[in-house]
Amino acid sequence: MTIHPNNHLQFNPQIQVINLDNGGFIKKTDKNIFDWSKGSLIFEVHPFFEVLRNFEENNLFEKKTLNFPCIHIEDGKVEKICDITFTLEEQEVVIILFDYTTKYRDLNQIAQQKNESILLARELELKNKYLLEKEEFKNSFIANINHEIRTPLTSILGFVEVLEKTKLTFEQEELARIIKRESQHLNALIDDMIDLSKIESGKLKVVEERFSFYNLMNGFKESYSKITEEKQIIFETNIDPNIQEYLIGDSTRIYQILNNILTNAFKFTEEGKIVFSVTKNYQRTNKLSLNFKIEDTGIGILEENIPYLFERFTRFNTDKRVSGTGLGLAIVKNLVDLLNGEIKVNSAPEKGTSFNIKLPFKFEITKATPKRKKKKYTLPKSTTKFRILVVEDEEITQYLIMKILISQGTFFVDIAINGEEAIKYIERRKYDLILMDLNISKIDGYQTTKIIRNNYGDKFISEIPIIGFSGKSNDITRDKCIRSGMDDFIPKPFEQEELIYKITKQIAKKATD
Amino acid sequence: MKLSKKVVLLGHFGVGKTSLFRRFIDNEFSEEYKVTLGVQIKKKTVQLPDGRELSMIIWDTEGHSNSIEDTRKSYLLGSHAFIYVFDVTRPETYRTLNQDLEYLKENYTKVPAKILGNKLDLVNEKEISNHLTSQNIYFDCLASAKTNKNVQDFFSDLAKEITK
Repeated sequence: MTIHPNNHLQFNPQIQVINLDNGGFIKKTDKNIFDWSKGSLIFEVHPFFEVLRNFEENNLFEKKTLNFPCIHIEDGKVEKICDITFTLEEQEVVIILFDYTTKYRDLNQIAQQKNESILLARELELKNKYLLEKEEFKNSFIANINHEIRTPLTSILGFVEVLEKTKLTFEQEELARIIKRESQHLNALIDDMIDLSKIESGKLKVVEERFSFYNLMNGFKESYSKITEEKQIIFETNIDPNIQEYLIGDSTRIYQILNNILTNAFKFTEEGKIVFSVTKNYQRTNKLSLNFKIEDTGIGILEENIPYLFERFTRFNTDKRVSGTGLGLAIVKNLVDLLNGEIKVNSAPEKGTSFNIKLPFKFEITKATPKRKKKKYTLPKSTTKFRILVVEDEEITQYLIMKILISQGTFFVDIAINGEEAIKYIERRKYDLILMDLNISKIDGYQTTKIIRNNYGDKFISEIPIIGFSGKSNDITRDKCIRSGMDDFIPKPFEQEELIYKITKQIAKKATD
Repeated sequence: MKLSKKVVLLGHFGVGKTSLFRRFIDNEFSEEYKVTLGVQIKKKTVQLPDGRELSMIIWDTEGHSNSIEDTRKSYLLGSHAFIYVFDVTRPETYRTLNQDLEYLKENYTKVPAKILGNKLDLVNEKEISNHLTSQNIYFDCLASAKTNKNVQDFFSDLAKEITK
């Protein structure tokens, strides 16, 4: 802020004139601003005037007159902001005080606002940076913890599957079922945490793909038929027949949204019915909006709880028999927002709950062709068993994979505990496929794959089908596997069927090459 | 005659000159940011090691936005020391430090200028010290008006230096 000297020419300030002798004593003064007395030493009335002492010492009165704008002077209870002028006369120094307190206080407000806004912007910038760093840390923490949890979880789920195929007593069967259910619940919690973290960090991308709308809807009917029977409730589905057979949208996310709401409806409804209806809101050119309504006659939600329904880790039901992560509806809300949709909820305790979800879709105007089904593969005919090298350092996973593969009766299995050992094995023996954990010691799975692909002229080595596996089950890991030269990727925890399918597929493909 | 020296606090706005001023003079601190318009002046008497008393007249000037040349020259006349204050959390407050010091050196040849980085409570001392050194920012002291860390010692050392 620029302070103009000689403001007294433009304003009408109060003025006080003080005459000093050469020793700094007040010879004469009016008392228009401050009640200073004749005979007082000026250096003692306010420290500002000490400057006069230095001026004399330093011979600074070359200009005869000196202006000091905007000086805060306090004397007892009187506080003023003055422009002060010193003039050197022959036998005295004349001091003139111009009181501009009101004007300066107005200016002060403007300066305060201006500076505060700059400082606030800077503070926000820093906070934003801090939040971004925190978010990054959170995401990497979730990704790491996910990996750490999934590895033992894979073993638990896998061994339960193996266990279920053995001869068990009724009690053992029940215990195995509980272990499986709880492990699946833990797995679902990890999936939810990762999804939420991806959505919140903007890493979850919406995919626009063509999918069979009716297949998706029928899937719900099938999925919930068992629980409908068990609970002896009615599950009614009303789908508008005018909705196109094939739509374009992110079917995975749409399934996730609807499945979450339906799961809740079934969880909290002990009698009565659940009605799932889908109607068209509007249709224009190749766009349409659908309204999904899921109504239940369940326990309902208290009105005061509704605003918190979509918050993370929110659970209003304290019944421990009803499982849930408390993340489902937070994910639903985030996904609906991500798909540019809307979600509304109406509920009354003991009467039931109704969710209304509006979602936009596109559709092809041209005639649709059905989606391809998953291709079936069979192992090529062979007089000997197929030899698989499992590269994995965790004993429990080694044992699980071995158990699954050997139980098929068509595979020999060798185990290597790290990349270095894997290289030695493939140099000694011919393998039909390698199952490669990505996180192994010495040389990691990616690097080991690159060595196999690039360092050997022998095609029996360089072209061995390799399937990577890891607890990091995201698209980035899959892409990284493919880029390093692997043929496929399987996330942990894997289902026995999926593992056998992928192994069969790769061996069959290699045989036809 | 009692020994009296004029010391001027300089630097960008919002770096905490007034907080240092209040901490040194009255041993007070407030989180509230209040713009200083013009200059406020207070004195504090300090005891020197040789037993003499020094009256330190501290001029707390209005912070500038760009360069020290914006500060009114009459405020700087007759000074015995300058304290150039910057905010360790805001690089824009020390980006012009070297030019500003050059300006002071050219125009006030005999007046020593001390550099103080304020708001040390918000950062890690070692990290910021290394960072500033890597940016060629020379400083005499890193302090915190909020926690009073290094404030009193800094002024005591300054008092000794300007009365040598």
